[in-house]
Amino acid sequence: MKQKLVVIGGVASGTKTAAKAIRENPDLEITVLTEEDYISYAGCGLPYYIGNVIKEKKHLTVMNPEKFKEKDITVLLHTRAEKIIPGEKKVIAKDMVSGEVKEFPYDKLVLATGAKPIVPPIPGIELKNVFTLRTVTDAVKIRDAVEKEGIKKAVVVGGGFIGLEVAENLTLQGVKVTLVELLDQILPNFDKEIALLAEKHIKEKGVNVYTSEKAVSIEGKDGRATALVTDKRKIEADLVLLSVGVKPNTQLAADAGVELGVKGAIKVNENMETNIHDIYAVGDCAENINLVTGKPAWFPMGSTANKMGRVAALNLYPKGEKESLAGVLGTTVVKLFDINAARTGLSERDARNEGYNIVTVLVPASDRAHYYPGAKNIITKLIVDRTTHRLLGAQIIGEGVVDKPIDIAATVITLRGTVEDMAKLDLAYAPPFSSAMSTTIVAANVAQNKLLGKIDGISPLELERKLSDSQLQIIDVREEAEYVVGSIPGAKNIPLKEIKKRAAEIDRDKETIVVCKIGLRAYLGYLALKSLGVKNLKILDGGVTAWPFKLE
Amino acid sequence: MAEINIDAKFLQCPGPIVQLFNAVKSVQSGDVIIVEATDRGFYKDVQAWCRKTGNELLSLEDGDVIVAKVKKA
Repeated sequence: MKQKLVVIGGVASGTKTAAKAIRENPDLEITVLTEEDYISYAGCGLPYYIGNVIKEKKHLTVMNPEKFKEKDITVLLHTRAEKIIPGEKKVIAKDMVSGEVKEFPYDKLVLATGAKPIVPPIPGIELKNVFTLRTVTDAVKIRDAVEKEGIKKAVVVGGGFIGLEVAENLTLQGVKVTLVELLDQILPNFDKEIALLAEKHIKEKGVNVYTSEKAVSIEGKDGRATALVTDKRKIEADLVLLSVGVKPNTQLAADAGVELGVKGAIKVNENMETNIHDIYAVGDCAENINLVTGKPAWFPMGSTANKMGRVAALNLYPKGEKESLAGVLGTTVVKLFDINAARTGLSERDARNEGYNIVTVLVPASDRAHYYPGAKNIITKLIVDRTTHRLLGAQIIGEGVVDKPIDIAATVITLRGTVEDMAKLDLAYAPPFSSAMSTTIVAANVAQNKLLGKIDGISPLELERKLSDSQLQIIDVREEAEYVVGSIPGAKNIPLKEIKKRAAEIDRDKETIVVCKIGLRAYLGYLALKSLGVKNLKILDGGVTAWPFKLE
Repeated sequence: MAEINIDAKFLQCPGPIVQLFNAVKSVQSGDVIIVEATDRGFYKDVQAWCRKTGNELLSLEDGDVIVAKVKKA
């Protein structure tokens, strides 16, 4: 008799598992159960469908049940798995259209039940034009509302990737968007100075942003949403998107006795096996290991889901040693209007919470030769273990290319490399692609200088907290013309060339912060001031370029 | 009124704003300076600089090469 594989869930990891499993085991009888109307769709592409960047719905759905049938895989749409009985190795599912209840016996079961949007329990969520965005059906409804009802004003609740991408796409469609975030920053997985730079940019592009603000209720008229009420104000809106996050869809698994872990995601080992024999879990419903800390984590990402699907498929009937996924770094990238932001590994906040003694750098540099047309700036933040010099995390933001350098950083972290290793990487260079000293290498060199004590820095966040301190002096060593455009509040302008001549104007006993555009002249100014006898001396990490607050 | 062209393309640090500043110092009131720059930051900087120094920004073109036309006050 044929072995039977049942997969519950048909988006990324479920279909990946099924497709790989049949390639490995052509005799396997595979059934994919999904309660949705579409399978294998591009969930991460949904905001761009709303924005009409992706024109057609069919372009979001790469596969359909007929194509799977050709591969000998049966896909049952709108079929909801209602119960798993591990003792009898069967799944009970209901056809949501016909109402028919069927039993699906299995030899191997893969749970790929995904995640679902968290809906904040506030009055008014039942009103028309209040949405969450997770499925193709959600995206179609939102685009229909925008295109057919002439939506003018929208509120997005939640400043994560989905919320921000929808805010951008609606803005580009001519909708006035206000974004409300409960935390004190958007992009919750990024450090605050990076998130503030992103916030500054989307505000310039016309999005209203309110952080540290709580959605309280949605008001409506004739059954339609008209405004979002927060703890601070009322914001008029013809459309409200709730994108406050997702939670793993694991009730079905938990009811069957499958053990849950971090944030309620299904606990799996590195072979994607759950605590119950012959039951595997993959994708957004399952937890991961954080590759840096070795601790369980939850990174619901499409890229990770596909890897997990492959590993599970190979382990159903392993030929030799089992396949494993040691962990992930939570590497992500996002485009917001004209800027790009990416992260990998531990944030500064994560690293401090984990008890690491760290050094951070914030380094603006050009993504390719600065004389090559189209060169654009990016700002690289590195989080480095002071003891081992290992790279723990990286975050990059700017108009330029960020995905290449973040992938380099992810590789260095995965291979447990140090900043010394990173500084010596032999990276591809020609002017249209990179600089002779690539951004990655420059950032690693700055980190080495800090680790060796050649230079001491202060982060923008730390300096902002200290601005009112009378025992602090800030010296801007740029030219007067640059200083006039805008500088750190309270900064005194002494151009680099004039430091020696104007030494009398510098108070040697005060804590002194040296500032320039990107950090290079500040480094030279730092050395000059040091030789003049200024002891308590730091440069502003990232200079004026990476300063996320107001300039004066 | 004189018109002065400045090629400040491919300058990185200090950048085109310093070139503009030096040019303004050396010309007469009413003269026009045309700056070509590739530094992305120049687009915003030149606006802020003109606002703060009282020189008039006659026009500003964005693109791979940013072109600013500034009239000395």
